[in-house]
Amino acid sequence: MAITAGIDMGIQTVKVVILKDGAVVGRAKASSGFEPAKAAEQAFAEALQISKSSKEEVTQILATGSGMETAPYANGNVSMMGADAKAGVFLFPSARTIVDIGAEEARAVKCDERGIMQDFVVNERCAAGAGTFIEAMARALEVKLEDMGPLSLKAERASPINASCVIFGESDVVSLIHRQESKPEIARAVFDAMADRISSMVHRLGINLDVVVVGGVAKDVGFVDSLKRKLGIKILVPEYPEYVGALGAALTAASRVKVGQQ
Amino acid sequence: MKNVSAEKKYMPEMPQKEIEELNSSVKATSAKIIADNIARMKKTDPNRPEGMKYFDEISNFFGQRPKEIQDAKIKGKKVIGYFCVFAPVELILAADAIPVRVNSGWYDTSKLGDRIVPVEVCPVIRSTIGAKMIGLSPYLELSDAVISTLTCDGMTKLSEILSDSKTIWTMTPPRVKDSPQSLQLWKEEIKTVKTQLEKITGNKITAKKLKEAIETMQKASKAFRRLQELRKGNTVLMGRDAMLVNQAALWDDIKRWTEKTEALCDELEMRIKDKAWACPPDTPRVIVTGTPMFWPDNWKLPTLIEEATPQGVLVGDEMCSSDRILYDPVGIDEWTMDDMINGIAERYLMASTCPCFTSKDGNEDRVNWLINKVKENKAQGVIYYVVRGCILYAMEYTRVKKALDKLGIPVYYLDTDYTREDVGQMKTRVEAFLEMLTARVDI
Amino acid sequence: MYESLAGALLGATAALGLALAGILVILIWKKDRTRKLSYLRFFIQVVSLVGIFYSFTLALWLSAFFLVIFAVTFFSGRFFCGWICPFGFYMDIVALVRQKLGIRYFSLPEKVNNSLNKLRYVIAAVILTAPLFLGALTINPASGIQALFLRGPFRPIDILLSPLEPLIVPFTGSIANLGFNGWSISYPYARDILTYISVPNVTLILIYVFIALTLISTFMFRRFWCRFCPTGISIAAANRFKALKWMPLLHINKEEEKCTKCGICKRVCPVQVTDVYEQKGGNIKTSLCLNCMRCVEMCPYEGCLKMNLANKTVFKSRNWLEPSNSE
Repeated sequence: MAITAGIDMGIQTVKVVILKDGAVVGRAKASSGFEPAKAAEQAFAEALQISKSSKEEVTQILATGSGMETAPYANGNVSMMGADAKAGVFLFPSARTIVDIGAEEARAVKCDERGIMQDFVVNERCAAGAGTFIEAMARALEVKLEDMGPLSLKAERASPINASCVIFGESDVVSLIHRQESKPEIARAVFDAMADRISSMVHRLGINLDVVVVGGVAKDVGFVDSLKRKLGIKILVPEYPEYVGALGAALTAASRVKVGQQ
Repeated sequence: MKNVSAEKKYMPEMPQKEIEELNSSVKATSAKIIADNIARMKKTDPNRPEGMKYFDEISNFFGQRPKEIQDAKIKGKKVIGYFCVFAPVELILAADAIPVRVNSGWYDTSKLGDRIVPVEVCPVIRSTIGAKMIGLSPYLELSDAVISTLTCDGMTKLSEILSDSKTIWTMTPPRVKDSPQSLQLWKEEIKTVKTQLEKITGNKITAKKLKEAIETMQKASKAFRRLQELRKGNTVLMGRDAMLVNQAALWDDIKRWTEKTEALCDELEMRIKDKAWACPPDTPRVIVTGTPMFWPDNWKLPTLIEEATPQGVLVGDEMCSSDRILYDPVGIDEWTMDDMINGIAERYLMASTCPCFTSKDGNEDRVNWLINKVKENKAQGVIYYVVRGCILYAMEYTRVKKALDKLGIPVYYLDTDYTREDVGQMKTRVEAFLEMLTARVDI
Repeated sequence: MYESLAGALLGATAALGLALAGILVILIWKKDRTRKLSYLRFFIQVVSLVGIFYSFTLALWLSAFFLVIFAVTFFSGRFFCGWICPFGFYMDIVALVRQKLGIRYFSLPEKVNNSLNKLRYVIAAVILTAPLFLGALTINPASGIQALFLRGPFRPIDILLSPLEPLIVPFTGSIANLGFNGWSISYPYARDILTYISVPNVTLILIYVFIALTLISTFMFRRFWCRFCPTGISIAAANRFKALKWMPLLHINKEEEKCTKCGICKRVCPVQVTDVYEQKGGNIKTSLCLNCMRCVEMCPYEGCLKMNLANKTVFKSRNWLEPSNSE
């Protein structure tokens, strides 16, 4: 069977996954920066090295992500939602709803057992429901982004904040600091507010079990905990949630190769 | 009725120089966009029907058609503008005036409208206000009076704002469509417009003239429906082209339009015989519903659909700016004046699917229309298009989605604004939706 | 004997052939889809009028008619009213004259129309039970030309036949009072007034008043009498029983999704039936409908309204903007 690759041209990071015989053999990421194409080339080279294969062996490369048009080497594109659905079902065969929360976009995809999307919703233009929000709030709290999650778990209750906008949210957080609310509580408030937005998005789609959360933000234990509470259901998180988009692209590439061979 | 007032209640005093500068810059952009839209339509379908040439020309807002109207005006004809599809075009024709729809699709002028109304207001309204501020829309400028149907809140206030510089005839549509008193009110409104038309033109609307006008419009409906019929099979005419033809009926001379559309249909029928499809027959078929889209700027979504990878094709829509324009004919039983007025009143009120209405079962007519369209045009997906601020369409989404879910037809809610900035984001969504449609077919 | 029978048969065949030829001519000649069926209906009404005129010369046929009306309406709804009834035909002609004069018609308020429709049951009940208590009144059984079946105490049921009476009847009976130049003028129900109210002078004035009233009301409202005509009741009564629900084999069927609610069907209906417009698809069951099919003919949407006979479509709405070239 052939080797395929998927490149996820995200807004903040570029992710590459190399797939061989239905198994991931290499993954790498790089910060997008000002030249995402260059970053993608770099990540691709790194992933190839890990997978111990050469570029010539890769039969099909598909790009996804918001910058998919600028992806190097790519033979074609696949939408982020399509990739999410494919990879979500590949990782958890029982998954029917995939929630992908990236740096500046959040989306929920409904799919069938074959990993074909049936419906999807995307957050409104505002980034308040996505990773950037947490980042901005971490900055306001003067906490490292990685520490936000564990910090929030210590809280017993949440302070109310406005999650309709990053800017307003930030000023809310500042005023909470002035009122000397504890940091864990504010951190939890941030996650709760975000989970609120995400859950209403998922509700618009209708909750179909199982729900898988992927994307960079899925790594944040604090957020996953908040979302679990908001939705009141079990949530599955894969091992490398940020690579799911790239994995989906690689999987789609593999199935296209298969269709091409038939 | 609102006459031009001496005091400007809404419109700001703008220096003449600024108006001229803005006018020329927006006009230049718009002319470029018109040319660009047509060029892209040609690119999508390299083998575009010959018959489309006429519609390309007539759709130039700063070209031949405004000049024609100007000439007719010099000869003493009156021009009656209108906003919604509720305006009784038959009566305007019978009074020997020129009907022309004056809604605005310019993105740039919507930013000018922000100076008067907040950004939360529907961009169609803001854009129309902006166009009036700088005198951009040739048809709005040329019209002697404008019929404004107070369908939504935006339209109601728009009529007030425009009355600063235009004679506005307001028509109040009832909110409940199917009660006897509603129809009574609407008939009175139609009769008032008739009197006003007679007064402004000085021509009496006789039964003979009205019959002629109705028959002219019936012929136009016939051509219109023939074109929609041709879109039901494999695609011979791209959706954007059909949309342009439909919309041209709003400002073109209706008799000439009918002739040209019939000619286009003849050509398309030949193409069907030759199996000369405009796009591969397995291209996903999409229907768009929601807020009206106006030429030239607001051609964003249809362009995205038909230029996307994977490509989609617009096989129909449920919009008052396209497939709904001439679909329903005025059917007359007895050609007496009274019956004709009743027929016109009923056709414009009861056949409308505008979400500003409700009735015993809510706006069920719209859902039925859409379902029928989906079935007959064999559409695989529906894109529900709403501009920010169009609350009525936005609120009806849930009901439409539920109805389409029962049929297993995926529907995607797409909201946007009069702006070019979000094209990239919209593209991602439209392409994902089309990909979903192809995936459903593939496996 | 046999010769006369053969002659009668030949005559009947020739008449039938002529009628069919006429129908064919209309179908081919009339291209306007909004009028084609109306013309056909008009022609059939003329043929029926001739047929009824002829049959009234044979007294026995009257009773046969009585049975035929009931049988036909049982299975076809009020098809008879829309397509055959001479009184209906008369009203159509009055409407036609009004149209040609360019004068508008009026519509009854929906409530009034519906209560008139209900009034029909009262009228019918009175007539059908009349033989029980009116027996004494029928002292003057008509001469030999009267239907055998309708003699004696059953005479009042004859009223149900009254709309059938053509304007000119070939026999000179009790109606001779109205005749001039040897022709007898008959008017629906005039004979009944004559039979039951036999006050000199008053009777005649009553008859003239009745004629004037019906004429004016028909001039103002389309098919005014049909809205409460007791003759048309049979199927309405039958519909009340569950076991007879299947009875009208002929009915209008509507496909809800194709309807754009343009309101044409509601406006063109001569008896102001609103069910076709309001009902959400399915068979239209109202007993007010005359099955004249005007709404089906005028509906501009392909296949939205259909005329079904025992679940088979015999006629459906077309996009009448396109003239019919074939068929």
